[in-house]
Amino acid sequence: MRKVEAADADMVIISDSLPSGEPSISPFEATTLLAALATVTDRIGLVASASTLAHQPYNLARRFASLDIISHGRTGWNATMRQNPREAANFSRPEGFSDDDFRRRAKEFIDIVRTLWVGWEHDALLFDKASGRFHDPDKMHPMDFTGEFFSVRGPLNVARSPQDSPLLLLSDLEQADFDFASRRADVVLLNEPKPPEAKAACDKLRHRAREAGRDPLSIKMLTVADARQEPDGASLEALCLASGCDGVVLTVQPHPAAFEDFSERLLPQLKRHGLIEAHPGKTLRDRLELDKDGWP
Amino acid sequence: MTPRQMKLGLFLWATGHHIAAWRHSDAHVRAGIDIDHHVKLARTAEAAKFDMVFCEDAAGLREANVQIASQTSRSIGFEPISLLSVLAVQTERIGLVSTASTSYNEPYGLARAFASLDNLSGGRAGWNLVTSASPIEAANFGATGLRPHADRYARAREFATVITGLWNRRAAGHDGESFSVRDPLDVPPSPQGAPVMVQAGASDDGKDLAARTADVVFSAAQTFEEAKAFYDDLKGRLAAYGRQPDDVKIMPGVAPIVAATRAEAQAKYDALQELIPDEVGVALLSSYLSISDLWRYPIDGPLPELPEGEGMKSRQALVIEQARRDGLSIRQLARYFAGARGHWRLVGTASQIADELQARFEGGAADGFNVMPSWFPGELDAFATLVVPELQRRGLFRTDYEGRTLREHLGLKRPIRN
Repeated sequence: MRKVEAADADMVIISDSLPSGEPSISPFEATTLLAALATVTDRIGLVASASTLAHQPYNLARRFASLDIISHGRTGWNATMRQNPREAANFSRPEGFSDDDFRRRAKEFIDIVRTLWVGWEHDALLFDKASGRFHDPDKMHPMDFTGEFFSVRGPLNVARSPQDSPLLLLSDLEQADFDFASRRADVVLLNEPKPPEAKAACDKLRHRAREAGRDPLSIKMLTVADARQEPDGASLEALCLASGCDGVVLTVQPHPAAFEDFSERLLPQLKRHGLIEAHPGKTLRDRLELDKDGWP
Repeated sequence: MTPRQMKLGLFLWATGHHIAAWRHSDAHVRAGIDIDHHVKLARTAEAAKFDMVFCEDAAGLREANVQIASQTSRSIGFEPISLLSVLAVQTERIGLVSTASTSYNEPYGLARAFASLDNLSGGRAGWNLVTSASPIEAANFGATGLRPHADRYARAREFATVITGLWNRRAAGHDGESFSVRDPLDVPPSPQGAPVMVQAGASDDGKDLAARTADVVFSAAQTFEEAKAFYDDLKGRLAAYGRQPDDVKIMPGVAPIVAATRAEAQAKYDALQELIPDEVGVALLSSYLSISDLWRYPIDGPLPELPEGEGMKSRQALVIEQARRDGLSIRQLARYFAGARGHWRLVGTASQIADELQARFEGGAADGFNVMPSWFPGELDAFATLVVPELQRRGLFRTDYEGRTLREHLGLKRPIRN
């Protein structure tokens, strides 16, 4: 991971299951691995995948707020919008959800997490030993939410994190998810395999963001490519240009040989070609030139 | 053969265990947002050869009244699995135990998280199983009310069965009352076989579940007689589950304040007690008693008669017993329990504290202790530099780790894998 950081990559995204739906072969669950990596790296952004089926929103909001504090503002959450039937069967949902139900549930889940993240105002903690006031009670806001799938009183029992909100990445999008993604996501991972399809998806998301009153450039679009099939910087640059994306997420298999090829050969080559560069700023939002989240 | 030695856990709690710890001039007031502080505490405990660090947890605020809550440091802290993941790579030998509730988790998810933590730490992870008794937590998980005590334990029993099955690689395919799980765990087994199982419930249901599944039991007792009765009761229940007395380590909480002289230790304690606002003390006492209107009664009068609630039954009984025995007023009780939350308070020199610990250990009332420093880092440093060497001189505590894993520190068998 330090090699990836030294090559000035913006972030690593730690998957928690294989896209096929097969169980992960990593010895580490993604958020626990993220915490460990946070303490042995300094600059690189750290994004963990975590499923809305495997967690409760209150628990997951706490986990990521903590990780953001631990990493000094370098954390993101990759939330998949599609359910994995295998996971449902291991989480007391043998029948799973219908696609529509799962979509509504995922949106409700994500919005609860984002609201919990900003439940404490920036200056809520007073630390005043003499007067005995640890925090200002008026700057701590319960959410008192009752929805279709969850009800959560809040507030979070973790302080406001350095990024205010850890980054929200959305992936595995279907057409029906585009409206939500265009309003909420900081980063979208586009799984479209061909550049014209990726470009269409990218344009559509930016268009919808504009319609929703959001700066379309405030969402970073990343196209997903396989590190094994991308021999050099030129092909990646072409992919980026043709897809209209802001960057590329390279998938690397969790095997030492694959990782070595990626970090020893491909990354230094991309850096030599000026395709990756160091960004100023300490937090992941700074690195990606994203605003602090103003929502809600 | 090495004589029997006591086990020591360090009970982490950001600013310290005393309710007013954060106001102490020596306490690190930003502890709840400072990860380096926690790393330092764990390393101090590791240098002193503690068996483990232990994190308490609640999935919600600890105090519903915002005015009260804002006068304590307990509304914020690190989510413990993230915290222990950090400690796993920042320490080498010490065990890492965290609380997680069976009420608001799923066994497959927790099994993955703790197995992952066990792999990250080279076999040093432990899970403290709790059922959640707080209506504040319940309101964060869609519950309209707290579930009855018996239901919480039925769910916890099923949870423990499923999670140990997953860790021990027994065939999956569980389809029960509260949970269904199809696949085996997708995280490889750790050097320890399975994370250590810890429990703290002291009700009848709690003790029975502990006798069935726990490797370590944390308890709270004021007097030697209480501690001994609990110890004998729990160890006596093991045979019914085919277990030996030594398969479970019983570690009562102890909140020491130590100094070079008895008078100096007492002065430290008194100064800390003075920092407790009455309304905070009474609110905390109310929560142990599971009633909401204790403030209506005269603060210098006696505790009123109370009905038994659905909350923490054992703690409620302990408070009432203490009040009747010592004839304490509400204010006195509030101060007393605010200091160590019902745990055993020791104030004295290293030698006096070692005497007390030795008496309970050798008297068959404890296998070790869960140490609850009153404020951090000062009182941990004092315990590590004054009391631990005294225990070592007496041959009561190790001078170096016997092994690598938490099971090895505790002298526990590896779980049997079917």
